[in-house]
Amino acid sequence: MSAAAALFAASGYEGTSIDDLTVATGMHRGSLYNVFGSKRSLYLRALRAHLDHEILPSTAAIGSLPDAEQARSAAVAAFDNGPAAGFLLLAAVERAPKDPDVADLVAEAFTALEDALRSARAADPPHEAATVLGNRLRLRARPTTSQEE
Amino acid sequence: MANVDVDRTRGMLTVQLTGLDRLWALKSRVEVPLTQVRGATHDPGIAHEHKGAKVGGTHMPGVITAGRFRRHGDMIFWAVRKPANAVVVELTDGAPFRRLVVETDDPRATVALVEGAIPN
Repeated sequence: MSAAAALFAASGYEGTSIDDLTVATGMHRGSLYNVFGSKRSLYLRALRAHLDHEILPSTAAIGSLPDAEQARSAAVAAFDNGPAAGFLLLAAVERAPKDPDVADLVAEAFTALEDALRSARAADPPHEAATVLGNRLRLRARPTTSQEE
Repeated sequence: MANVDVDRTRGMLTVQLTGLDRLWALKSRVEVPLTQVRGATHDPGIAHEHKGAKVGGTHMPGVITAGRFRRHGDMIFWAVRKPANAVVVELTDGAPFRRLVVETDDPRATVALVEGAIPN
């Protein structure tokens, strides 16, 4: 599942083929269909796992910080990070407008970020969450030196 | 080529083959209750996989795969000439096939139609 999430984070939904997924997961095509039913269903499961293993634990940690400034910098450093870094932002841009189930997961993650900033006593949580997302996007937009192929 | 449709009143997914493919496949129409449909995926790469044993239909490698094939104990219905437009419809246990692999005019639209017609 994490291999699939990393692939979707790197290549997007449209850019990831079933051939790519069989190579990344080591599963045969037939088993992949048997287990998940479709690429979309695998994508939704991978995004759910990214929320459960990365987004929600990191927002819980951010929410427990003593002040808003620390929470904001922690969020800029850690939100939507991990082995499938950027998966959420890419899902928000690529799939959420077309797929209500993806839109729900993205909304859940954004709400968790807002709630975390609220717990850390941010003055204006929705506005600060938007600033965090903007900063994450700017960080993602930098070319990386180690491009994977 | 196949026309994939969803009949919401009857709760059925219908796959109607067009032209000579009806002859090659020895079957012109497949109907499956939507409750037995797990999902649809645009998958050009599946055409390069082994098809398994032909049960009824036609297999001319590189030209056409049409009809019923059995692979690893699973019955699979094929109707594909152009791999680029292949759509895989995965079915549940109890359905007449494990999956349908059919070529449609607009694979993206087919996938959206089927995925939009089934509960998650």
